[in-house]
Amino acid sequence: MLFNEVYGSYYNVVAGILTEAVRGTLSKERIREIILKKAYMESGISIPEALEKGEWPLLRKDYTTPLRHVPTMPLTTLQKQWMKAICQDPRIRLFDPPMQELEDVEPLFSTDFFVWFDRDGDGDPYEDPFYQEHFKKVLLALKEGRDLRIRYRSKHYCHDQMFIPEKLEYSSKDDKFRLVAYSPKGTQYVIRLASVLEVSLTEKNGIRSFSVKPRKEIVVLELVDERNALERAMIHFSDIEKETMKLDDTHYRITLRYRKEDETEILIRVLSFGPKIRVSSPDSFIELIRERLHMQRNFESCGS
Amino acid sequence: MAYSELIKNFEKIRAYMRDFYVFGFHTRNDFDRKSPRSYDNERRRIESWLGDSMVFHQDASGKRVFISVDSRETRHNPLYRALKAKSFTNKDITLHFYILDMLADGEKLSFKTIADRIQDYYIADDSFMPDDSTIRNKLKEYVSLGILKTEKFGRELLYSRCNRAWDMDAWKDAVSFASEMMPLGAVGAFLLDKYPDSRDYFSFKHHYLMGALDSGILEELLVCRMERKNALITFSTRRDKDGRYQALVYPMKIYISTRNGRENLLAYSFEERCPRMYRLDRIHAVKMMENQPEPEKLERTGNCFARYLWGTSSGPDRNRELQKLTMRIRLEEDESFVADRLYREKRNGTVIRLDEHTYEFIAIVYDAQEILPWIRTFTGRIESLTCTDPEVTRRFYEDLQEMYEIYGGGNAVQ
Repeated sequence: MLFNEVYGSYYNVVAGILTEAVRGTLSKERIREIILKKAYMESGISIPEALEKGEWPLLRKDYTTPLRHVPTMPLTTLQKQWMKAICQDPRIRLFDPPMQELEDVEPLFSTDFFVWFDRDGDGDPYEDPFYQEHFKKVLLALKEGRDLRIRYRSKHYCHDQMFIPEKLEYSSKDDKFRLVAYSPKGTQYVIRLASVLEVSLTEKNGIRSFSVKPRKEIVVLELVDERNALERAMIHFSDIEKETMKLDDTHYRITLRYRKEDETEILIRVLSFGPKIRVSSPDSFIELIRERLHMQRNFESCGS
Repeated sequence: MAYSELIKNFEKIRAYMRDFYVFGFHTRNDFDRKSPRSYDNERRRIESWLGDSMVFHQDASGKRVFISVDSRETRHNPLYRALKAKSFTNKDITLHFYILDMLADGEKLSFKTIADRIQDYYIADDSFMPDDSTIRNKLKEYVSLGILKTEKFGRELLYSRCNRAWDMDAWKDAVSFASEMMPLGAVGAFLLDKYPDSRDYFSFKHHYLMGALDSGILEELLVCRMERKNALITFSTRRDKDGRYQALVYPMKIYISTRNGRENLLAYSFEERCPRMYRLDRIHAVKMMENQPEPEKLERTGNCFARYLWGTSSGPDRNRELQKLTMRIRLEEDESFVADRLYREKRNGTVIRLDEHTYEFIAIVYDAQEILPWIRTFTGRIESLTCTDPEVTRRFYEDLQEMYEIYGGGNAVQ
C-alpha cells in the first residue's frame, strides 16, 4: 500500500533525529532544526513531545538512543517494482540507472498500460545515440558547474556559442527537453535538445547562475459556467498560477499569471473555450483575440 | 478524539485538497455538506502539510483558502506531502526502529529472539512492552511490504532484512525526473526522501499536479491489471458527485491528458458488456476481485474501442456511433508553424495538404464535439468546418458568432 506510514514524513524526521543521536551529535536545538527543515508545520510540537515524554521510547533524556545503528530502511517491494517499471521508458534510460540491480523484480506496471492520448507527435528522439550523448553531456555540465559550447540549428540558421547551463525543462505535452541556459553576457536562451548538433564541455567553472525570476503577465478572464466550462477551465489552467473568484451562481473571474514568452500559447488555450470565457483585461490581450477573430471573419463564407 | 495532523484514511481529505487546488474559490460556508468542524480540521491539516503553497484571501463572501502553485517553478509536486501523512500508533513507530536496528547487521532472528531483545536491549520501561501479537503482526506486515524476508530453519521461521544493494547516486537523476513525470511518481518522491538535499536540474512545463491525489486508486488498479484480476470500483459521476455507484470491471488502460492532467480508466464493464471510461478522480475505492479468465479477449475489445476515441468520450450517451469531422485551414506564406502544429497535434486524425496554402484535417471519432476546443485554437485560419453531426457545426459557428459579439459587437472585429 502506497499510503503507509513507513513512507511518512514522521518516520523520516524521526530517522533523521535518531541518526544524530547514534552519532552523538544530537541536541534540543538540532531536533528543532531537523523538524523545521523536514517536517510539517505543526510537527514541531508533536514530534519532540512524543520523544521527550517517552511515548516513543527511542530517545533518552540525555539525547542518546537505544539504537546501535544509523537508522536505514531497505527498499520496499513497491519501490523496487516502480523502479523496474520506469526503466522501460526511453526517457528514463537517458539517465543510465543501474537496472541489473532489479533483474529478479517484476515491474509494477507495463508502460503500455498508459496512453498519453493528446501528446504531441514529434517528441524528442530518445533512442538516437547522438541525442543520448548530448543529453548526458548537458546533464554532466549542470552537475559539475561546467560551461558548454553548443552548435545547434534554429529554423533558418546554425549557431555555435558558449552557454552557462541553468536547467533542463521537460514538457509532457510537447514531449521535449529544452535546455535553459545563459550566454556569458547573461542573455537567456531556451534550446530544444533535439536541435543540438554538437556539445562540448569546458573545464569546471563552479556553479554560476544568472537565473532571475521570470516576469509574469496577468490576464483576467470572465467565465460563464455552461457546458461544464468551470470545471474544465479550472483543471485546464491548474498548471499555472491562478486565482478564481465567484461572482454569482454562474459567473466567475479567473486571474492567470503567465510568462510573456508563453503568450501565444495562453491565447490559444483561452480561445479553446470559445464564448464561455471572455477576456476582460488587459486591452493588449483583448486585442490579440480580436486579431484572430478579424482573421477568421475573412473566411466569411465559412458555414454559410 | 484530539486533533492530529496525521490521518488514517486518505479518501476523506482527497476531495478537500482537490477543491483547494483546482477550484480555490469556495469559502467555509460552501462546504456545508460536511460539518464546519470537519472543514476546519481538514483545512488546518492541509495548511500544515503544504505551508507556503496555501494562500488565504478574505473578501465579502468569506475567507477563501486555495493552493496556488506555478508548476513550472515548483521542482517537486507539493501534493505528495499529503501522501506522507498516514497516522500510526506509538508501538508502530517504536517497533519500526527497534526491529530494523536489531537486524541491521544482517542477522537472521526468530520471533522469540526478536521479542526478547526488544525487552532486554531496547525497552527501559516494561510497561511499554508490546504483546506478542503486536510484534508478530509488525513482522508479518514488514514481510508483506518487502522490508523483511523469512526463511525456515528447522521448525523456526527466521526474519532478516531484505537488504539489496542499490547505487543510490546512480539512481538519483532518474528518480528525480520520474517522480514528476512517470505514473505513480509518489513512489519516487518517497525514494527522494532517502537522499540528503541536493540541487535539482529539472523543471517541468505543462505539469499537472492533481494526479498525485489519485495515486492510491491508481496503485490498486495497477495491481489488479498486473495480476489480471477484475476490480469492483466505487465511483461517482459528473451529474451525481455525491452519489456512490459500483461496477465490476476489468482494468485495461489509463488515459492521461497532457493538456489538463486528467486521468481516466479504460475498463471493460461487465454490466454494460463493453469498454468504457471512468475518471480516476471520481473513483473512490477499488476492490480486487476474481481472476479474469479471458484478459486478451477483453483487451482486444478495448483496443478496437479505443481506435475512434479523440479524447475519452464515446459519444452522446456513449452511443459509439461514428462521426466524421473535416476542417480546412488556410495559411499565409510564413505560417508553416501552424501546419506543423496541425501535424503534431492531429492524434488519430489525418492531415492532407491540398495546395500550397490549404490543409485539410479529417477525423472519424465517436464524439466530434470533443474536438471543438482544439479546433478553436486555429481560430483565424479556419476556412471551413463540416461534420456528419450537424449539431457540431452549428455549435461551432454559433459560438464563433457569439465571440464576434463579445469582442466588439457584431461586425466590430471586421
